[in-house]
Amino acid sequence: MLEVSGIGVTYGATRAVTNVSLTVDRGAIVSLIGSNGAGKTTTLKAIIGLARNQRGEIRLDGRRIDHLAAPERVGLGLALSPEGRRVFPQMSVLDNLLVGAYLRRDGRGAHADLERIFAYFPRLRERREQVAGSLSGGEQQMLAIGRALMAKPQFLLLDEPSLGLAPIIVDEIERIIREINTDMKVAIVLVEQNANLALRLSDHAYVLEMGSTTLDGTGAELLASDYVRRAYLGV
Amino acid sequence: MGLGTVVAQTIVNGLMVGMIYVLMAIGFTLVFGIMRIVNFAHGEFYMIGAFVFAIVFDSLGVPVAVSILAAVIVVGLSGVVVERAIFRPFTGDELNGMIASLGLALILQNGALLVLGPSPRSVPAIVDGTVSMAGLVFSLSRMTVIGVGAVAILALYLLVVHTQFGRAMRAVAQDPEIALVQGIRPERVYPIAFALGVALAALAGALMAPVLSVSPFIGLTPTLKAFIVVVIGGLGSIPGAVLGGLLLGLIESAAGTFLSAVVADIAQFVIVIAVVLLRPWGLLGKKEREA
Ligand SMILES: Nc1ncnc2c1ncn2[C@@H]1O[C@H](COP(=O)(O)OP(=O)(O)OP(=O)(O)O)[C@@H](O)[C@H]1O
Ligand SMILES: [Mg+2]
Repeated sequence: MLEVSGIGVTYGATRAVTNVSLTVDRGAIVSLIGSNGAGKTTTLKAIIGLARNQRGEIRLDGRRIDHLAAPERVGLGLALSPEGRRVFPQMSVLDNLLVGAYLRRDGRGAHADLERIFAYFPRLRERREQVAGSLSGGEQQMLAIGRALMAKPQFLLLDEPSLGLAPIIVDEIERIIREINTDMKVAIVLVEQNANLALRLSDHAYVLEMGSTTLDGTGAELLASDYVRRAYLGV
Repeated sequence: MGLGTVVAQTIVNGLMVGMIYVLMAIGFTLVFGIMRIVNFAHGEFYMIGAFVFAIVFDSLGVPVAVSILAAVIVVGLSGVVVERAIFRPFTGDELNGMIASLGLALILQNGALLVLGPSPRSVPAIVDGTVSMAGLVFSLSRMTVIGVGAVAILALYLLVVHTQFGRAMRAVAQDPEIALVQGIRPERVYPIAFALGVALAALAGALMAPVLSVSPFIGLTPTLKAFIVVVIGGLGSIPGAVLGGLLLGLIESAAGTFLSAVVADIAQFVIVIAVVLLRPWGLLGKKEREA
């Protein structure tokens, strides 16, 4: 179980996250919705160790992890598909995936996962020798998710996987997030501005406003909430 | 001597000198690409490599292959220490890292002067004799330099392209923050990358020691050449360093044989200026790169 309790993150004088709490059970899909600048990315960065929380605690299965460096947290079963995809542009698709398995020592398992990822994303297999910078936005997103999966995470953090993609690609990504969750038994923390997509997918969801989690409930509950419908679903 | 032999020897000389430039430039560009350090002390590691080789091979009479290895290992290990002690505090700070490298260059050069004295020492050839191929005669020692250099470059290429450590180096070079979330610890990549870079410089120094003489001041020219090659080939590009280095060596050698040494010097600056004007990112460099 991943537990974030009352974390606060400041960048110099900017307070990016004031008070965020959330809980993610193993195998669950939990989403975090909120508008521009609400602090969604910063929350994920704090969980994976790319930003430091000055306040609050982050625990994985009861053990505090917020003093650990990012690579150590990856070793404990966290992985991130970052905002803006951030694939290594001059490395091949295959090398991007292989570097995702950097901490793994089970070569055979990593190879099986590579095949599995190619099965999810056949286009990555076709383009395995191509440099990642030459892929389309949707393909780069698939690569970023595949690279994170190569670490064999228990908790996969996805930062805006639908951003800037054509609706048909968004559908494909939604389907694959579901499949990954059921097949690989990996819990997913999904950050989205596309609240509709996020709430459809998630077991539980949190609303993040100006750096604080203000509301939470099951995906269905929030989809039915008047406030959420007005503020985030545009109805 | 027929024209064919002159041409062949010019090419061999050019490839030999070019190979040295390639070794220097790859180390330089590797360190810059991964650590963002413009290492002005790069040539001093060449100088130390040449001295270690001269002492072990000439004074102690150790076999040549072991002596070359000794130069590479001694300098590589000192690279680990130098990275940790001198460059680590300037991670992400290009300007001060560069100033630190200038200071290091002065310290190493003057240290060598103090310990080893200013007079150049000559080192006997690593192998004697010639080889004949297709009716042309080549110096065996020059062919050895070319061969050993090529093997080292191939080994580095395989490391960078086909191993997890090589992928980690490239990942850190391309996006250090995202490298962290692949589980890569930059503090483990930096010392090894730096050691590899200066070990290549040491190899160049050891290979050139018998060809030129060895003194505390020999590091400057190879550093300059590494700069030139990297401008021609593209900063951060290993294939660019290979192309640029061999090109520079061949042009210098041809201009020196058929025209004059002055023309050879002018020619290399003409090439640099042409590249900077026409392809400022270098022959094989990447056009856009974030600051
Ligand atoms: N590195 C940084 N330095 C300074 N301020 C930052 C930094 N990163 C984010 N911020 C600020 O922190 C706040 C929260 O940013 P964050 O990126 O976490 O929001 P977000 O919810 O992910 O927004 P978006 O939907 O635009 O991605 C914003 O006001 C942002 O300007
Ligand atoms: Mg964001």
